[in-house]
Amino acid sequence: MSPLLSQVLQVHRALHTVRVVRRILHATAAALALQLLLRITGWDVGASFAVLPAVALGATVWWLLGNRGHASRPSEPDALARTALWVEEQRVAARTAPDFALTTAVEMLAAGTAVPHALALVAARAMQESPLDAALWRARRAAWQWPVLFGVTCLMLMRVSAADRTQEGAAVATRTVPTGDTARPTATAPLGAWSVRVVPPAYSALPAVTHGDVNNVSALSGSTVVVSGAGPAPHAELTAVNAKRATMVAAREDASRWQFTVLAGSAPQTARVSRGGTTRLLIVEGHADSVPRVSLDAPARDSVFREPRGAVPMLATVQDDIGLTRAHFELIVTSGEGERFTVRTLLLRERSWPGSARIRSTELRGVLDLATLGLQAGDVVHLRAVARDAHPSASREFGSSETRAFRIARPTEYDSVAVEPAPPPEVDKSMLSQRMLLMLTEKLDKAQKRLVHAEVLRESLKLARDQTRLRLAVGDVVFQRLSGESSAEHAHSAGDGHDHGVELQGGKLAMSTSSTTGMLEEGNDSPVVAINQPLLEAYNAMWDAGRALEQGNPHAAIPPMKRALEAIERSRAASRIYLRGKPPQVIVDIGKVRLTGKDTGQVTLRSARAALDARAADRDTRLVRAASQVTTNTMAARDSVALLRVEALGDAPAFAAALSRVLAAMDRGGDATDVFVEARRVLGNVLRTRTTSWSRGVVP
Amino acid sequence: MLYAPFVFATAQYESGDWDSAPLVPANLIDSLARYTSLPVRPQGVTVPLGSEAVFQYPLLYLTGHLPVRFTAREAEVLKQYLERGGMLFVDDHNHDVDGAFNKTAREEIRRVAGPLLPLPNTHELYRSFFVFENGPPTTSHEMNGWGDNLVHEQLDAVVKDGRIRVLFSNKDYSSEWSFHPDNKRFLSVDNTRFGVNIVVYALTR
Repeated sequence: MSPLLSQVLQVHRALHTVRVVRRILHATAAALALQLLLRITGWDVGASFAVLPAVALGATVWWLLGNRGHASRPSEPDALARTALWVEEQRVAARTAPDFALTTAVEMLAAGTAVPHALALVAARAMQESPLDAALWRARRAAWQWPVLFGVTCLMLMRVSAADRTQEGAAVATRTVPTGDTARPTATAPLGAWSVRVVPPAYSALPAVTHGDVNNVSALSGSTVVVSGAGPAPHAELTAVNAKRATMVAAREDASRWQFTVLAGSAPQTARVSRGGTTRLLIVEGHADSVPRVSLDAPARDSVFREPRGAVPMLATVQDDIGLTRAHFELIVTSGEGERFTVRTLLLRERSWPGSARIRSTELRGVLDLATLGLQAGDVVHLRAVARDAHPSASREFGSSETRAFRIARPTEYDSVAVEPAPPPEVDKSMLSQRMLLMLTEKLDKAQKRLVHAEVLRESLKLARDQTRLRLAVGDVVFQRLSGESSAEHAHSAGDGHDHGVELQGGKLAMSTSSTTGMLEEGNDSPVVAINQPLLEAYNAMWDAGRALEQGNPHAAIPPMKRALEAIERSRAASRIYLRGKPPQVIVDIGKVRLTGKDTGQVTLRSARAALDARAADRDTRLVRAASQVTTNTMAARDSVALLRVEALGDAPAFAAALSRVLAAMDRGGDATDVFVEARRVLGNVLRTRTTSWSRGVVP
Repeated sequence: MLYAPFVFATAQYESGDWDSAPLVPANLIDSLARYTSLPVRPQGVTVPLGSEAVFQYPLLYLTGHLPVRFTAREAEVLKQYLERGGMLFVDDHNHDVDGAFNKTAREEIRRVAGPLLPLPNTHELYRSFFVFENGPPTTSHEMNGWGDNLVHEQLDAVVKDGRIRVLFSNKDYSSEWSFHPDNKRFLSVDNTRFGVNIVVYALTR
């Protein structure tokens, strides 16, 4: 190897060393920065400095491998040429113009080519004139100074951090730690026993409780949990359930003892307390103050009252975990109907337990006097029991029971389930009269032996008229109709063909054999929806009694009168249930609304009419002309039509037939417009759709 | 049909007159059929609020004049219904903020679903199908001086996770929409269009 090439090779190796060292420094600085970052963020990785070399080594290897492609081997001609070029660049720094002789010579030497003597001399001079030592020093400084400076800064910061920790630890270690009755200096004494005291919130009026050395304590939300122990203050962190971050708790140190407080919430919290290498957990189970539990035991169900009077017993059971302060029954009275309602709220049996007189469980009793509420028919009363506890929050929920509703029935309504006895029907009046009639008839029966027949007959006819009046009154309530009409007598004359489930058989009413469906399918007459069978029996018995009385035979009238009375009584005693009316059910025809439904009719398609051929057009003109002459010259018009008919007989028989109808109409006199129009349509082969009830009609 | 048709469900609660607007379901069903392509059942259903059958219906309509007091069972079922994604549309048939229905229904809803808060008139509910630039459409009953004699500018709602769970109206749509759908032809503008928005919102959000 020539001396020149040897010198260039030395410079190349020096530069390569600079680059390698720079990469190592970069890796080390990165490792230090990582170490510092871990320390700042509080990650305790144990032996921190053991990690550093490994990280630095790994980073260096990664760096070298990643840059292997860029590292030029000294033996490569390009690498030596670049080094020669770098040497010549240093001459520029020394204010000497470069002549690139050195680079050319090195390239030739590296390629194994002989270098001309003159070129070799110039190259050697360039090599000697280059300030290589200074240039290499500058390269080293430029390459190394920043990573070294960064690494040193990281080291200093780490040292400062380590010093702070050491100082803190030393302060803890030299603190005086009392144990029991004696106090002696100790270094980070392990955490010992503690005492837990729970102070409930003031509103609860509950006493404070000291639990001693426990790991788990239950506390009402808002309670103050005081944890205390002996020795220096430990490190305490508080973590709520499901929370990611812990909250530092400042422990207060007082002479020989420490303590910190935790405010119990409505969810559990964990206090992590550590000192001297010992860590303990205290779980504070906070639970919310529950709202009072209220149950309404009486009345046990909703109800409907016939009249707004009566007494309703009320009983409610109230309980609370802390203590009750107030309880009462609450009534909401709603009056009105349709779109107009008025509401008033009433509180009944209000009770309160202030301060220390609070109780946890009680019963509310009372009697609701409906008459005092001034209720009207249709009014609704909602009743519930309400209780409050002592929680001071303005938005505190109160406890309430389920609600019972009472409704006062309207006189005209029949659409609600009535669990109370229904109002007595009007037939009650008849019952009294029937009883009186029976008594009068029995009296007449006993007296008829000493009366003349005419007298008996006159008295009997009087009773018969009263019996007939009662019978008609009963007949009014035998049948209940959908429209509200109830007369059984209104149209039941014999043979009137007016059958809607009832027919007259010799004056009596009898169920039709056509059954109920026949009744409901009747036309304009309102269908019968219910039949009072006992009253039907009473009606017929009254008819028998009336007939006997009309015949002047009161004795024979007594048995049917008794049957009638018994039937009325059965009717009165029957239980009645009024069912709520069903709301109207409207079924929307979706297909119709969307215009996608099936149509059973056929739509008449309208298309352009074909033009008449020449012959038909001529006939059409002649027909129109004849029609226009009808009013002015009837005979001429008739002749024209007749001629036209004759011509059409051969090739257009339908048109000829239509013209025959025209001629017949003209002979009859009157308006012949329709037949002329029809003839013209036949000529033009125009099909018309018949007018039907279905608006779109069908093609004939 | 790929999907079960939408069924309009009216909530039947034990207290009060839950059936005070019997024609509203048919009217809204008619509107859904008229304006949308949603598969819809031609007849609504009445479902007891204390029954788990409510879980079959994505939207419940609740109205009345009288006080609303949910039974324990009703409150529990309704709470589950709302948590499972159901939507409750409550309309005050009294249109009276001082009325029994408004006071008691709000109290019950607060217990079951949380407090009702004003719903901004820019809420997507007002653009879910038809666009109502000024929020909920005013009803004729509001302007006629019924009830509290107020025109309520906003609806109230319980919104959770960006979705309306309970929509509360004092505007008395129950009166406004309670007519036979055949009579829509007498209206220049169909006043039930907002009901379509409510249904579409309940089905798509």
